[in-house]
Amino acid sequence: MAEEIKEEQTEEVDSPKREFMTFQTGREYFGINISYVNEIIQMQPITALPEVKDYIKGLINLRGKIIPVIDVRTRFKMKPIEYTDRTCIIVINVKSTVIGLIVEKIAEVNTILDEDIVPPPTLGHKEHEHNKYVYGLARTDGAVKLLLDPEKLIMEEDMELLEEIQEEE
Amino acid sequence: MAEEFNIDGMLDMFLFESGQLLEKLEGIILEKQDAECFDDADINEIFRIMHTIKGSSGILMYDNIMRTSHKLEDVFYYLRESQPDNVPHLELVENVLKVSDFINGEMDKIKNGGDADGDEGELIKVLDEFLNRIKGEIKDQGIRLPKENKHEEPSQFYIVPVASEGSHFYRITIHYRNDTQMSNIRAYSATYALKEVAEDLLYTPDDIISNEESSDVILAEGFHMLLQTKSLKDEVLGLIDCSEAEHIDFEEISSEEFGSGLVTMGRIESPVAIDLGEEDAGVREEKPHPVPGDYVVKTKETGKGKTLAKHQSKQQSMISVNVSKMDALMDLIGEIVIAEAVVLQNPDLNVPGLDLTNFQKASAQLAKVTTELQEVIMSMRMMPLTNTFQKMRRIVFDVSRKLGKDIELEVIGEDTEVDKNIIEHISDPLMHLVRNSVDHGIEENADDRIALGKPAKGKIILEAKNEGGKVYVSVKDDGKGLSKEKLYDKALANGLIENKSMSEFTDKEIYRFITLPGFSTKEEVTEYSGRGVGMDVVVKNIQSIGGRLDIDSEEGYGSEMTLAIPLTLAIINGIVVQVGNSSFVLETASIKEFVRIGEDSIIQEPGGEEYIVLRGECYPFIRLGQRYEFENCQTKVEDGVVVVLEHEGSQICVLIDSLMQEQEIVVKPIPSYVKKVRGISGCTQLGDGSIALILDIASLIEEEERR
Repeated sequence: MAEEIKEEQTEEVDSPKREFMTFQTGREYFGINISYVNEIIQMQPITALPEVKDYIKGLINLRGKIIPVIDVRTRFKMKPIEYTDRTCIIVINVKSTVIGLIVEKIAEVNTILDEDIVPPPTLGHKEHEHNKYVYGLARTDGAVKLLLDPEKLIMEEDMELLEEIQEEE
Repeated sequence: MAEEFNIDGMLDMFLFESGQLLEKLEGIILEKQDAECFDDADINEIFRIMHTIKGSSGILMYDNIMRTSHKLEDVFYYLRESQPDNVPHLELVENVLKVSDFINGEMDKIKNGGDADGDEGELIKVLDEFLNRIKGEIKDQGIRLPKENKHEEPSQFYIVPVASEGSHFYRITIHYRNDTQMSNIRAYSATYALKEVAEDLLYTPDDIISNEESSDVILAEGFHMLLQTKSLKDEVLGLIDCSEAEHIDFEEISSEEFGSGLVTMGRIESPVAIDLGEEDAGVREEKPHPVPGDYVVKTKETGKGKTLAKHQSKQQSMISVNVSKMDALMDLIGEIVIAEAVVLQNPDLNVPGLDLTNFQKASAQLAKVTTELQEVIMSMRMMPLTNTFQKMRRIVFDVSRKLGKDIELEVIGEDTEVDKNIIEHISDPLMHLVRNSVDHGIEENADDRIALGKPAKGKIILEAKNEGGKVYVSVKDDGKGLSKEKLYDKALANGLIENKSMSEFTDKEIYRFITLPGFSTKEEVTEYSGRGVGMDVVVKNIQSIGGRLDIDSEEGYGSEMTLAIPLTLAIINGIVVQVGNSSFVLETASIKEFVRIGEDSIIQEPGGEEYIVLRGECYPFIRLGQRYEFENCQTKVEDGVVVVLEHEGSQICVLIDSLMQEQEIVVKPIPSYVKKVRGISGCTQLGDGSIALILDIASLIEEEERR
């Protein structure tokens, strides 16, 4: 699996356009590079885990594999919303860590040209603020989509863990 | 290292094979450590092991491994052929162990991505000296020496003649330095490298792989090659490993000369395409050969002719499988068990009036097969403790000799089988215990033993047995035992216990002092033990796999340390309970009882901590739901169930909502993304596909005690 993804990525380096899975959460649209996406599943019963970060909603059973799911809204420090029929879980695989992202609703798959992607404005945001997971803004069909960097999502985790460990020590 | 070989696969094979061979070697040696001498079968076996290691390390150009194994091979070749009867056996044993340690050390370096750069000179000197000594003794006694063991192997070489335009013809002669080891192997690697560009390649001597003597010919006369290739001189030279070569003669010749060279060299019988596999096998199976000059050829008669014992058939019926594949299989079977439950208890079957006779029959069959499947995979993960115990033999041997103690080790039940993961975890703790027994347990002075009416020779019994779903491994010595007074004084002096009088502790509690961090009764620190770390680490390691350590002793007559460990970690017997909307699993073995009590049995401390008084005993009390801040959980003690859990002699009471069922639980780790959750050791999938968390009772209790 990891190899496949790698191949796809190298292909994309050559071509100026990329495909993004876009989803809506609140009023914002987010995009995630499709090569990270394993599958999209319906909302599942989630087993809550005690004493973890609030955005880690718990564990789900994906055909025998137990994977953690996180709520994208809480992850980005937005107000949580009720889960509905439209709520989905996007299962992503980042460097062979498989996690589920709970999103309000799936929009579509967009092809976005590289030239349409602009870096997010830094104005008004200090470093290490919530938009660190957004690496670019894309304008398509008149709507602005925030493009997520899933590796950052995972990486930031590691950073936080490191910090925690240091604190403990 | 020789880049011209593709060594990745070979390296793995080499490490794996050599590792196994060395293990086997140690096994033989330690079994015979107390015997008078090795018997023929052992000598042959050791000889063969060294020979194989020499061959394969030679191919991979680990020269120091090759040289040491070669030297030991010489020693055993001599033993085999001459049958000397005055070999200092213990010294031999030590030398073999030294070699095995050296090679093991080098292989560790290689495994960790380093290069085998250990210095073998010292060891070789020792072996040389040893060999000369036993040889010298024999010469004095006028026993005839073995003849050189010569053999012919059919030459099998490989030329792929492809006549083509624009080819160059070269005559290459490589002269190796005089001290080059195994120049034949180096020459072979050169031919192998050239094969890539060669249209035609001839060389002499042509039996470099099958005949080790060719290495002398090569050293004396150089290694001659005739090469037909499209490549230019520099390219060809670049391919040859020149590290050991003194100089290389390189000459371009005409095709006629090349043709006549074929005739003059005249050694090619039938051209065969290069086949590395075949060559490889050739190397491994090459016959033993003494290094010329090691001894004088006297008569034609050899020592006693012996056929080498066949490899034991036991090994041939084994295959080695990657552990990750086993784990994958284990996972799959766990899923089958769950899938089976999902199918057989499917709500769709609950249609009134449905005739399920055939379905029931089929499902009974399915259930039977899956159970068997589970048993088979579990048994595949089980490994006998033989190897672990063998290591202990080695430790007793080493340590007792260093300390000058005469100790006998008795091993009972070494074929007891335990899950592979667990074996990995108990090896170190066990090593500690055995070392302790040798170092602290057995008296330094044999007279002290005799005074107490014990035999002068100390005895350590290492025993493993399987009882009631647990494995007990005990280390028992008949040494001086533990002194309760000393332990108590020491613990008091080190501030490990409060000022309680000795009578407040039971014997076992006092013995358990030695497992406290920073406790050591040994005055001086020895090389092996006495640093005061150790026993607490042992206990920690054992607890991490859900086991425990029991200590028993009788002063003056020895002590016994018993490890009680679970058979397997992968499947546990558990009781599923409900707290709020979540399911938890409690390991059945640690549940003492379930009780229903009223609010009046609870004592609340001012700090908010709660205790339950049950039949006069006071236990700490945790409301699991509140602890984990779950919603919809029972808050009233009357409506819930209180479980009394026990681990390592400490108890704790936990409030849960309700009991669900008892079942076998396939333990799965919590995904690493989530990090460690306190009090949870893993998760599992229940029959209906939902997930339950496995409560880590040990850490719950530990946390409670820390408060």
